[in-house]
Amino acid sequence: MNETGQPTHKKNSPFIFIIVFLMLCALTGLSFWIGRSHLMEDKFTGWSAMMAVSVAKAMLVVLFFMHLWWERPWKYVLTLPAIIMGALLVLLLVPDIGFRTERYSQERNSSAAESRELTLDSVNSEDVHFER
Amino acid sequence: MGLIYQPAVPVSPGKLAVWLFLSTEIMFFTALIGTYIVLRFGAPEGSWPTTSAVRIVEWIGALNTFVLICSSGTIVFAFENARRDKPAQAKIWLLLTMLLGGAFLGIKAYEYGSKFAHGIYPRVPRSLIYDRPDINYLSGLKQNLSQEIRDLEETKASPDEQQKLETLYLLQLGMVGWTEQKVGSTDDPMMKRLAIESLAQQIYPISDPQTDERINTYVANEANEVQMLFGEENAKLKETELTLKSTQSDIGQLSGIKEPNDEVKSTLAQKTKLANQLTAQITALTKKTTLLRKRKEALEIFKDVHGGINEHYHLKLPMVIPSGNTWANTYFLLTGFHALHVFGGLVAFLVLCPKRLGASRAGLVENVALYWHFVDIVWIFLFPLLYLF
Repeated sequence: MNETGQPTHKKNSPFIFIIVFLMLCALTGLSFWIGRSHLMEDKFTGWSAMMAVSVAKAMLVVLFFMHLWWERPWKYVLTLPAIIMGALLVLLLVPDIGFRTERYSQERNSSAAESRELTLDSVNSEDVHFER
Repeated sequence: MGLIYQPAVPVSPGKLAVWLFLSTEIMFFTALIGTYIVLRFGAPEGSWPTTSAVRIVEWIGALNTFVLICSSGTIVFAFENARRDKPAQAKIWLLLTMLLGGAFLGIKAYEYGSKFAHGIYPRVPRSLIYDRPDINYLSGLKQNLSQEIRDLEETKASPDEQQKLETLYLLQLGMVGWTEQKVGSTDDPMMKRLAIESLAQQIYPISDPQTDERINTYVANEANEVQMLFGEENAKLKETELTLKSTQSDIGQLSGIKEPNDEVKSTLAQKTKLANQLTAQITALTKKTTLLRKRKEALEIFKDVHGGINEHYHLKLPMVIPSGNTWANTYFLLTGFHALHVFGGLVAFLVLCPKRLGASRAGLVENVALYWHFVDIVWIFLFPLLYLF
């Protein structure tokens, strides 16, 4: 322990930081690759894979660049509740905002955004009517 | 009796403060990112804009991710050198970090610029995004266009501007005016929507090959119809004009008669009535053929315009991007707050810069580095969410 109460982590030679840095670059490339791969054919598979990669990257940064791998874990006392509180706040939005379109009135729906695909599906775009 | 201070947590107060601050930052960004996710996945089905529709370039985002990861790496080495009491090396790594942070902001500014150039802004009055191809959009477009024309007419126009004005006139009549007339003349809500949709697509295509293809088919079919209809109406116009001419010469002959009897008088009255009717018909037909001719011209000129009318003519006309406003709001809010944090980090580095970064200041460097890594982590989540989803 040094004067700031941390282990003097002698083991963290520059070597490990370079390894972590290269892993971060590789993982960035991986999520970019996932975005263009056939995994995106099923959106949820692609999204989950990308989020998993992001969590892995975040963990690498937290554990090694922010030294939590070598340090005492008291930071979790602060950060975990913060994450849980933040997540709860977001979850509270889900019923009202996340499912908002399901309770749209017909009137509201008629001015809501609609995908161009859907517009074109509902009408045959080869039809051209003229009033003569 | 001497009192001995016993710290509650075995770290320096500064480091504790940074972790406490980072905890509040976690809540801040969890709420922002989470709200984005909820809004995005709760949006009307399939309406969320694709990256190409809102001019997002994936590799630029990936490049920025790489830049930020590099800067995280360099600040680690700045701290390691400070800890080992090598102030000169620490300074070099710190400067490198600042450079990378600046590069990130520069790339971000370039990205914002390319959005603004396309009229993608987070809110009115500058935002030109409409969610749906409806009457509301059409009237917004009409207003915007006539404002633009009025502004150009007031200034003493250069030849370039004169050219632009001609384009705008053609747009006004051949595109917007035509669509308006079409929407007004049909009762079928679907046909109304299709007419406005095709107009919106020609102004700002959403760059989805399948959708583009279908709209192009519609426009091509319409061009054929317009061509045919123009031929018919024009022939009708010519014929009516001929009839009017012969009627008028008849009238001239009849009114030349010195002492007209009753029969001549009544024929003259009939012919005059006919001439009036024909004139009215010609007025209506001229109006119709003018519109058709303008439409024909507009379809020919705007047919092969790459990237849409807005991009090709450097115009900023209202455009339809489904859910585009929600997208713009969340995109600019998330990246804007993140960029502000990057800027804050750069300010902290700038404060560190003139100091001697020896072992005695290692704690300070570490605290700033912790904040910088956190900013990096936020971007690690923002990149796939905003660029790849």
